[in-house]
Amino acid sequence: MIKAIIKKELIQLRRDPRLVALIIIMPLILLTLFAVALKLEPQNVRMAYVDQDRSFFSHMIKTGLWSDAYFDLYAVKNKAQIIEEIRAGHAKAGLYINSNFSYLLTENKQPHIQFFVDGTMPSLTTTMKYHSNSATSDDISSDMYFSDADADNVVIAQKPFIMDTRILFNPEEKETWFFLPGVIGVLIMQIALILTGITVVREREKRTLEQLLVTPMSRTSFIIGKLLPYVIIALLDFYFILLAGWLFFDLPQPSSHGLLFLLALVYVAVMIALGLLISLISSTQQQAMFIAIFIIVPSILLSGFIFPLEAIPDSIRPVSYAIPFTYFVDIIRGLLIKHTHFIDLANAYLALTGFALLFVGMSIIKFRKTL
Amino acid sequence: MPATDNKMIRVKHISKRFKKTLAVNDVTLAVEKGVIFGLLGPNAAGKTTLIRILCGIIKADQGEVLINGLSSQKAKPVFGYVAQYFGQYEGLTVWENLEFYARMYGVTDKKRLDYLLQRYDLTQFKDLLAGTLSGGYKRRLALACALAHDPLVLFLDEPTAGIDPLTRKRLWDDFYQLSAEGKTLFVSTHYMEEAQRCHQLAFMSAGTLVAKGSPTDMKHTLGDKRVYTSILPYQPEVQTALQKMAGLILVNQFGNELRIVAQNNVKKEQLEETIATIIQQIIELDETEPNLEDAFIVLTQNQTSPATNRR
Ligand SMILES: Nc1ncnc2c1ncn2[C@@H]1O[C@H](COP(=O)(O)OP(=O)(O)O)[C@@H](O)[C@H]1O
Ligand SMILES: [Mg+2]
Repeated sequence: MIKAIIKKELIQLRRDPRLVALIIIMPLILLTLFAVALKLEPQNVRMAYVDQDRSFFSHMIKTGLWSDAYFDLYAVKNKAQIIEEIRAGHAKAGLYINSNFSYLLTENKQPHIQFFVDGTMPSLTTTMKYHSNSATSDDISSDMYFSDADADNVVIAQKPFIMDTRILFNPEEKETWFFLPGVIGVLIMQIALILTGITVVREREKRTLEQLLVTPMSRTSFIIGKLLPYVIIALLDFYFILLAGWLFFDLPQPSSHGLLFLLALVYVAVMIALGLLISLISSTQQQAMFIAIFIIVPSILLSGFIFPLEAIPDSIRPVSYAIPFTYFVDIIRGLLIKHTHFIDLANAYLALTGFALLFVGMSIIKFRKTL
Repeated sequence: MPATDNKMIRVKHISKRFKKTLAVNDVTLAVEKGVIFGLLGPNAAGKTTLIRILCGIIKADQGEVLINGLSSQKAKPVFGYVAQYFGQYEGLTVWENLEFYARMYGVTDKKRLDYLLQRYDLTQFKDLLAGTLSGGYKRRLALACALAHDPLVLFLDEPTAGIDPLTRKRLWDDFYQLSAEGKTLFVSTHYMEEAQRCHQLAFMSAGTLVAKGSPTDMKHTLGDKRVYTSILPYQPEVQTALQKMAGLILVNQFGNELRIVAQNNVKKEQLEETIATIIQQIIELDETEPNLEDAFIVLTQNQTSPATNRR
């Protein structure tokens, strides 16, 4: 009896070549993708700096940071702008060197330099802190000890200068601030893709599509009618999750409730439309589920949610930018934690809107009024 | 644009191939307004495919369909369709289903829906989930849904398959009623006795229409062939012996009845003798009128050798 069931299951599986392709080829693609893409070491992390000292020594510090291609430095006008650059997302780190740096250094007065780190990205924040040490490494600082030639060789301080690290936006490095904003997006993605992913396939499998297709409905009304209720449900769910986050998990308040709503609306629309598209291209509910999962997993890993985009090689970066969730992560961190200005998030909003229109459009094209 | 003649459905040279199967092969037909048109054919004859093409939910490879003078897509508001398999929403109640289909056609008239519930004995099940209905009532619900917008034409794909005889009779009474109301019905079936009830018939076999006409016309397609019958229990030797005879077209066994269709040059006595020698007993054959099944089998069988049938 068991053998008979096993045999039957295997036969059924073999008869669905698309499913077999999905369970064999998709993991291969993802494995290759992740093998190439997932690196712990970020590269060329943008760093805004102000060097008011403009001395040989301050230059040495910059070169030290630059040398292993970890940071990519560019100059900005003043200290406030460093923070604004990071807030806008143009830079992930910043460096401030005061005008009296080399004077204090030569006086052995142990000057301070300031290092700023974007505190919204878990792994990036920690690795940046670690890498900033290259500015104070012995190679660099060993040349920075000054003493009178005739005086005793007295070491005044352990280090010739001191680097103060400031974690911006999330000074306490709260894990919930790191992860919860993105988690909301992951949950909505799962709910939306599974919710709509089966809506058309189910009608196909249950044969209700046939009776529906003989009615004089237009393609657009079918697609909109299928989308709208789920958009509303997912939107309610979005706020339900947010509310739970605010009440129980110390999720910060957004800089603008209007912009947060706009994000929720556009993101939910993208995910519901994507789910519908999955449903239209699948021939069984099982296939739809698989496709949904194969979208969710890379979305989580390649979006900058867990691993920073800076750690994803240039060859794979376009994949990251083709993932709607990437823009969601960017915006929600901007709204909840960094309080980024709308103008700096506009491109991400536009990208999400573009995805929504693309997926709705493709659904309308893909939907045939024939079986 | 209404039909310029009295033909409600016009089909010209429709063909449809699924990979290796030619499901519909150059079908041409016309159905007059108010007529019950029967499409008779065995399983896999291509009936469902043809009806789906007429309803515009499968694209034909070639050919033209006009319903009330319009293409299938444009004619959607004027026809209804009941698919071979239950296609209403099992998770909705009877009333919710009916209301849904009505609204898909812009019908909001509750009175009409109430009338349809009553007409198909569904009033008592109004709030029951469609999935919990028995086969017969599911079929009634499907009919009611297809009639919500009061269509001119109704396509019914094997509407009584798997339905008990009493319900089947009720449904057919209703079909006549619909036809009397001026609606055109296009009904597929594989039941001979049901085909008998249609005003016009087409025999379909392996994708091809092999004959068209009224049930009476169909019986006469046998021409001057003769049909004999006798009460005789099934005996394989009889069948084998008869099939070897020249001029024999069909040997068909219905329980205890033996039916033989033969060319008119085959003598009745000759047949009686052949059988008698095998069963060692005198037998008398009666000549009788051909029925639809005789006609259908003769028309669709491989012309070179007589078919054997046993039921
Ligand atoms: N979607 C399809 N794909 C492939 N073959 C099909 C499809 N639909 C029907 N067929 C084939 O076309 C032939 C006619 O089928 P169908 O129209 O369902 O016949 P009927 O309704 O008379 O039983 C059959 O051989 C069937 O296997
Ligand atoms: Mg069929």
